[in-house]
Amino acid sequence: MKRNKYMFVLLMLLAITLAGGIFTGAYIHVDGERQQQKGIYVVTSFYPVYIAALNVTKGSSGVVLENLSEPQSGCMHDYQLTPQDMILLSKADLFLVNGGGIESFLSDVGKSYPQLAIVKASDGLELSGGENAHVWMDTRNYAAMVRNIAEALKQVDPANAELYQTNAKDYCEKIGKLTEEMEELRVETEGKPVVIFHEAYEYVAEELGMNIVYCLDLDEERQISAHEVAEVIEEIAQGEVSVVFAEELYGKDMGDTVETETQARVCYLDALVRGDYRADSYLSAMQANIDVLKRAFRSADK
Amino acid sequence: MNFFSWLQYDFMKYAFLAILIITPLFGLMGTMIVNRKMAFFSDALGHSALTGIAVGVVLGVNNTSISMVVFAIVFALLLNLISGKVSSSTDTVISVFSSCSIALGLAILSQGGNFSKYSSILVGDILSITPREIWYLFVILLAALAFWLFGFNKLLAVSLNRTLAGSLHISAVWLENLFAVLTALIVMVSIKWIGILIINALLILPAAAAKNISENMREYHFFSILFSVFSGVLGLVISYYTNVATGPTIVILASFIYFATYWWGSRYNV
Repeated sequence: MKRNKYMFVLLMLLAITLAGGIFTGAYIHVDGERQQQKGIYVVTSFYPVYIAALNVTKGSSGVVLENLSEPQSGCMHDYQLTPQDMILLSKADLFLVNGGGIESFLSDVGKSYPQLAIVKASDGLELSGGENAHVWMDTRNYAAMVRNIAEALKQVDPANAELYQTNAKDYCEKIGKLTEEMEELRVETEGKPVVIFHEAYEYVAEELGMNIVYCLDLDEERQISAHEVAEVIEEIAQGEVSVVFAEELYGKDMGDTVETETQARVCYLDALVRGDYRADSYLSAMQANIDVLKRAFRSADK
Repeated sequence: MNFFSWLQYDFMKYAFLAILIITPLFGLMGTMIVNRKMAFFSDALGHSALTGIAVGVVLGVNNTSISMVVFAIVFALLLNLISGKVSSSTDTVISVFSSCSIALGLAILSQGGNFSKYSSILVGDILSITPREIWYLFVILLAALAFWLFGFNKLLAVSLNRTLAGSLHISAVWLENLFAVLTALIVMVSIKWIGILIINALLILPAAAAKNISENMREYHFFSILFSVFSGVLGLVISYYTNVATGPTIVILASFIYFATYWWGSRYNV
């Protein structure tokens, strides 16, 4: 009986090891195909930086562009690196980040990989309020980020320097069209009061020349108190605010409350912290934002 | 592909070392906790980590690990003291304490809407293991071993019958307090990378699984430590390759073992 028990334990542990091994093996098989390429490894920290780098490196041979396994929800503020990220960074030649403090894990990366070149795409840009790092929400800033990224890529891969230069120029032209549209819109929005439900929209409001009267920073896991809700509604009513910028995912409940309690109209804008990985997804998402804004202001004026 | 390729990274080496130290410790402590029917107690302790961090944040302590450990020790001693005096059953007292401290911790940490900053402590982050923490773990392992060697029989006597223990000149209060402090230390030092939500499972599951199939104390401890180390090491390796948080992987493996032994035990053991 006793020997039986030890046999059972042995068999059980073996079976679990085997099942775990097969499961892991199957997983690696599916996941591992893309890891075999050779070349210059460029890793980006998250979505807007990745899309910008994707456009700049378009058509270049021998450059492997990878993004960190970014969170499915929300911003990078409180993101923690996964073991997979550490492995990715250990093979990287260049790590492109947004900067401005949004990647709170950067100091850890610097400590673990002192050799790795880290370039902040927002270098040289002035942060709104000194610490708001959602710079890509302003199309003019985004174009500057693209140029910074092209410069960084030229440094690590001089062979493709010309390609990066022309790619960046093409892409910036496309961004420029968005900037023009924003400027057209600015004629109608200049000086008007706005309430924003996410820090990122500070840049949108700034580009439109609007006056932010209240910023309620709603994002993942943000629990707002009843007092804050009352404060926002009062602010909107008193300041005769006609538009509110909010994010669909985290601001919808609050937006609904505002629309029933006040006269203000809520514009749901994409904060562009995540999205699909097509090269033109920044352009199309920003265009959609502009369309939402146009509709809101045209109808508010009537 | 080299099977040991995961050991080339420093953070995996630290994690591996930590697992090697902590899983036998958990197996050992688990047997004592299960024996003494204190599963709920260690669970409450885990939750108190949240409050410990919150207290540290309020006091402006740089290293919240210190406030976490201090708070957990105070919490454990207080819990022991009150549960000995209050007439309602122990699990009620523990539940009151645990929910009080969670509420306090959540209230402070969610102030200003910043709770997401601390959410990693709920599921744990393996990259937070540093060489210093491994040393702490090692010291605690030694202390636990000493406690186990010298105190185990006495503790068992206390848990069986307080009056009997008293007649043998064993101070139940002291022993229980010492045990509570030790449990608090272990839970706090490992909570950052295992996670509040599941740390208790790691303490309880191997011991509970071992209890399913053991006939005496020696077997009980042997199996508990074996299951604990096994699920720890295998869980770490699987979590590395599949990019899943380590704590939950380990707990899933340990629960497989529990159910398998439960089946076997109900079949062949009486």
